Amino acid sequence: MKIDLVNVSKAYGQGDAQFWALKDATVSATAGDFISIVGPSGSGKSTMLHIFGCLDKPTAGEVRVDDRPITSLSDRQMSRIRRDHIGFVFQQYFLNASMTALQNVLLPMQLAGVKEGRTKAAAALETVGLGSKLRSYPAQLSGGEQQRVAIARALANAPSIVLADEPTGSLDTKTGQNVLDMLMALNGEKNLGVVIVTHDETVAEKAKTMIHVLDGRIS
Amino acid sequence: MSWIILANAKKRKARVAMTVGGIAIGVATLFALLSLSAGIENALDREISGMGAHILLLPEGCPYELTLSLMQGSDAFEHIPAELLPDIRAVANVDLAVPVVVGKAKVNGQLNSLYGTTQEILQVRQWEVDVLEGAVIGSDVAEKLGLAVGDSVTISLYNSVELEITHVLEPTYGRDDTFVFVALDVAQQVLGLTDRLSAVLIRTEIVTESTRTQYTLGRMSDVQAVPPSDIFERLMELFASIRQTLILITGIAIVAGVMTTMNTMTMAVFERKKEIGILRALGSTKLNVFRLFVTESLLLSLIGGFVGLIAGYVATLFLPKTSGFGLEATPQFSPIYVVICLVVAVIVGVASSLYPAMSAARTQPIKTLREL
Repeated sequence: MKIDLVNVSKAYGQGDAQFWALKDATVSATAGDFISIVGPSGSGKSTMLHIFGCLDKPTAGEVRVDDRPITSLSDRQMSRIRRDHIGFVFQQYFLNASMTALQNVLLPMQLAGVKEGRTKAAAALETVGLGSKLRSYPAQLSGGEQQRVAIARALANAPSIVLADEPTGSLDTKTGQNVLDMLMALNGEKNLGVVIVTHDETVAEKAKTMIHVLDGRIS
Repeated sequence: MSWIILANAKKRKARVAMTVGGIAIGVATLFALLSLSAGIENALDREISGMGAHILLLPEGCPYELTLSLMQGSDAFEHIPAELLPDIRAVANVDLAVPVVVGKAKVNGQLNSLYGTTQEILQVRQWEVDVLEGAVIGSDVAEKLGLAVGDSVTISLYNSVELEITHVLEPTYGRDDTFVFVALDVAQQVLGLTDRLSAVLIRTEIVTESTRTQYTLGRMSDVQAVPPSDIFERLMELFASIRQTLILITGIAIVAGVMTTMNTMTMAVFERKKEIGILRALGSTKLNVFRLFVTESLLLSLIGGFVGLIAGYVATLFLPKTSGFGLEATPQFSPIYVVICLVVAVIVGVASSLYPAMSAARTQPIKTLREL
């Protein structure tokens, strides 16, 4: 799967309160890519990631998924793209606190109607080294472990691309490095496309492609 | 989907308990109301048809009040002169005229209903008694006062008599179980109602001509003749209007329950914005989110419905047996009431979840994630 952002701009607010979070961004991501989007807070990097992930639509420009513009797609079609082709990893992990690690990973599989979801979810957790923590709740896991559950959840439906928004932002250096190594390994071994948003240059430098964003523009 | 709902419910036990409890109270009230209503209807039917009369001859006054007094065994302070009895018996088509006098008297010191009548009562009641002599007592009286055949009882009010118990009636599950039956003159003497009657039970020879007989009897002075079926219908109409009011009040309580549940669910949507945002990011469609909330509400409502059914059933068992026109009414349970209550619970579930579910479905994932 390939996602193209062509001259994409995104504005928030209206009238005098309107501001452009993203201006004329043109960038592509596909399986096997490892892209880092780097820039200071409020530069528009998360906005770019959300548009990449079909979570948001641009105010101007075009987003194409496999050369198909998403502007005309319905909520159902956009949801299906997210469900089947894109995995999300967030800075605050965003795990469901009332579900076990296994259930959190099972959730997107359930949405996709995957058969033998439990076995596959357990395998995904095994991949991220949490095979012994299937029944643990998020509160019983460390920050690094929670982020690994979030990665396993992102991988649940075997996506082509994983979009990670500051995945190491809430972790200490060592744990952050482990998470980053994991994403790099998935990129190298499974040809997974990875797009990371970060304000940390050292993290950004690990990527094959670095995109600098400042005041909504790719510099 | 059920495990997702269960996992969420585990996190919000108090809220779930309150929602289930609210619905359960509404359903329990409805179930108890329906069961008790049917019980009262059944008791009325049983008592009126159990009189065994084609026509009921009553003193002048409100026939419904007088009939109820007769069924309850209490003196209505309106009477038929006993001297009319030969004239009543002489009316064409009157096969049997059973004079009755009722009132409360002390039986071995305890207040109880006294029922004075003649031997003819044995022809209209289905008792296994050959002769009405001494005191014939209902099964409840025997149990309450610890009496048995051969014991003697003292019955007193204005005058006192001592009688031997000749029969204890088999349980009829009606008011007869609570009466002490004695000879008419004995009851009149005790109750101070000499030469007066509370009612006369009329059996006709040709039932199809009862209307004409009723008309003739009704023209006699100081009495009114009414068919028990009319009394039953009118009492049922009266009871139906009371029941409708109660159902209306229950309905209002259920609507209030819907609003409360709706409010709870709407608050839950706000509380669960993060969860909804993540679900949407993971690929849930608006329809998925809508269905999740409606299903959750439906499940809670059904649980509330079942809890309410059990609570309603238990409540009816502990409610006083004597209710509705002072009759002993046993609640009547029917599968149809279970179905009605569960349908109401489902309607409550769906109605209360539509707005919150739509609100949840409209949640923009990006907006939610940005706010987190």
